[in-house]
Amino acid sequence: MMGSNGGRWALLGAATVTAVGVGRAVARRRRRHQPDEQDGWYVVRRGVTVDRPIEAVIGFWTDRERLDRALAEWATLEQIDDEHWRCVAPDTSGAGTEWRAELTVTGPGRLSWRVTDGPEQQGTVALVPAPQGRGTEIRAELRYRSGPVRRALGLAGGHEPDLRLRDTLRRVKSLIECGQVIDTRHDPSGRSRAQERVTDKMRERLSTGGRA
Amino acid sequence: MRALCWEGVGKLKVRDVPEPTVRADGDIIVKVRASSVCGSDLHLINGFLPAMREGDILGHEFMGEVVETGPGVRRLAVGDRVVVGSVVACGGCWYCRTEQYSLCDNSNPQPVFTEKLWGHSPAGIIGYSHAAGGYSGSHAEYVRVPFGDIGAFKVPDGVPDDSVVFASDALPTGWMAADFCGLTGGEVVAVWGAGGVGQMAARAAQLLGAERVIMVDRLPQRLAAAANRLGVETINYAETDVLEALREMTAGRGPDACIEAVGMEAHDVGPAYAYDRVKQATRSQLDRPTSVRQAIMAARKGGTVSIVGVYAGFVDKFPLGAAMNKALVLRMGQMHAQRYIPMLLDRLATGEIDPGYLATHPMSLEQGARGYEIFEKKQDGCLRTVLHPA
Repeated sequence: MMGSNGGRWALLGAATVTAVGVGRAVARRRRRHQPDEQDGWYVVRRGVTVDRPIEAVIGFWTDRERLDRALAEWATLEQIDDEHWRCVAPDTSGAGTEWRAELTVTGPGRLSWRVTDGPEQQGTVALVPAPQGRGTEIRAELRYRSGPVRRALGLAGGHEPDLRLRDTLRRVKSLIECGQVIDTRHDPSGRSRAQERVTDKMRERLSTGGRA
Repeated sequence: MRALCWEGVGKLKVRDVPEPTVRADGDIIVKVRASSVCGSDLHLINGFLPAMREGDILGHEFMGEVVETGPGVRRLAVGDRVVVGSVVACGGCWYCRTEQYSLCDNSNPQPVFTEKLWGHSPAGIIGYSHAAGGYSGSHAEYVRVPFGDIGAFKVPDGVPDDSVVFASDALPTGWMAADFCGLTGGEVVAVWGAGGVGQMAARAAQLLGAERVIMVDRLPQRLAAAANRLGVETINYAETDVLEALREMTAGRGPDACIEAVGMEAHDVGPAYAYDRVKQATRSQLDRPTSVRQAIMAARKGGTVSIVGVYAGFVDKFPLGAAMNKALVLRMGQMHAQRYIPMLLDRLATGEIDPGYLATHPMSLEQGARGYEIFEKKQDGCLRTVLHPA
């Protein structure tokens, strides 16, 4: 009688210790995966390496046709003067509203942007020569207002600004390096239309936030 | 058009599907004349790489005729007879510039799966699941080839379709396996797996200077084909202890280089193999690394182990201690098709390499499912089934 009670208590104790341990490990992992926070802003820094010299990368930004293709489906750009641009993009959460942002060239190979109409967001882009003649590092810093729950929902739903930033960097890299962003949606398959819709959803998940 | 589609684990069916169209400046459309099955397809068909969708068209080792070119295509014209590398490469990134085409940065539009699994996403591969970009495969009448100028190569006249088709994958893979061995002349090279890739690796090792090549397999017909065609020595692991045999054949040293051309569904005998089968069946390990283990144990001290059999995930009982303490060089990877194909086509034209004998079972596209069955079960002396959609 005593023995079996003791066994139960030991089991309960072990289970509690395990649960606490697992909980702490999960919490620690989540903390490590949270972006930095500064003055209430989430700050994420993402970079991509483009196998071209800085001048070629700047050339891309001044080539309207290629730039429009990079932003296709997401945004339009309008130049106001030498240093200022205006960007209009649909709200990524799919609410059907529009964002407006202002872009300012702040130096050679540097620019900053700020959303003027839409959720609070701002950021900078800097071009840095990559070591070993590996081309140019495009380093972007994005600041936005969010919270742990919103970020988790955004990551799950694929509309977290961080994911969008990674996608943009990947598209830009691909366009500069090989002139296109490859796409295999709607290639031939033996799928019915309903199956194709499900597959498209999966394709989107497999491409959103991916890095080159 | 007709195409051989994956319909669920272990199920293939020929279906009517829409024809591909040129979608980017660099695209070409190839009318497929020969499209080979490949051992790595079996991992996809059998659900070991869980990124297939019902309706996906299989096939990545093929040749055919260019029937349409995008406005940006410069090197090729309609009517050209071409062989196409399985690996899609953009030609413009650092990896392509340094001829590491299977690591291309820009050819996998769906990089998340492999990024999570492997840390980074390598190149896309035609007809090789959604992990490798979701490209439609070549077991079809027509196939779209992106970056046609980079990935498709004009075939010399006089080399038959069923020979040159292997310049798409089996031959460059085998060549790269031998290239990894850093042969300088006179070496003893052991090759695990006497399938198409293994036999091409053996031939490449001979051409790159190996004095002796020893092939390991369990299928007498395959070993006999290798011995007759290539003049290699053979070990049947079902009858012989491989490690002992290799040690004796090399007077105690062990092979200078070991090439593994088997992959994640390796067979073996004995209790360790039973353990691997159980772990893989219960998905507590993705790959069965039987032949890699053996290669590491067999290699001479300071030797090279070159892995071109396909592995996907995590393995158990990996003899890292042996590799470390014997100071082995481990090299591995998907082949850099575009680096090797032009050189290999020259060698095909001169007859130095003749992979045509691998095509033991030419079949129509409609017989595709049966073709894979014969290939998987190694019936009727099958080395490769080659489908002819046209």
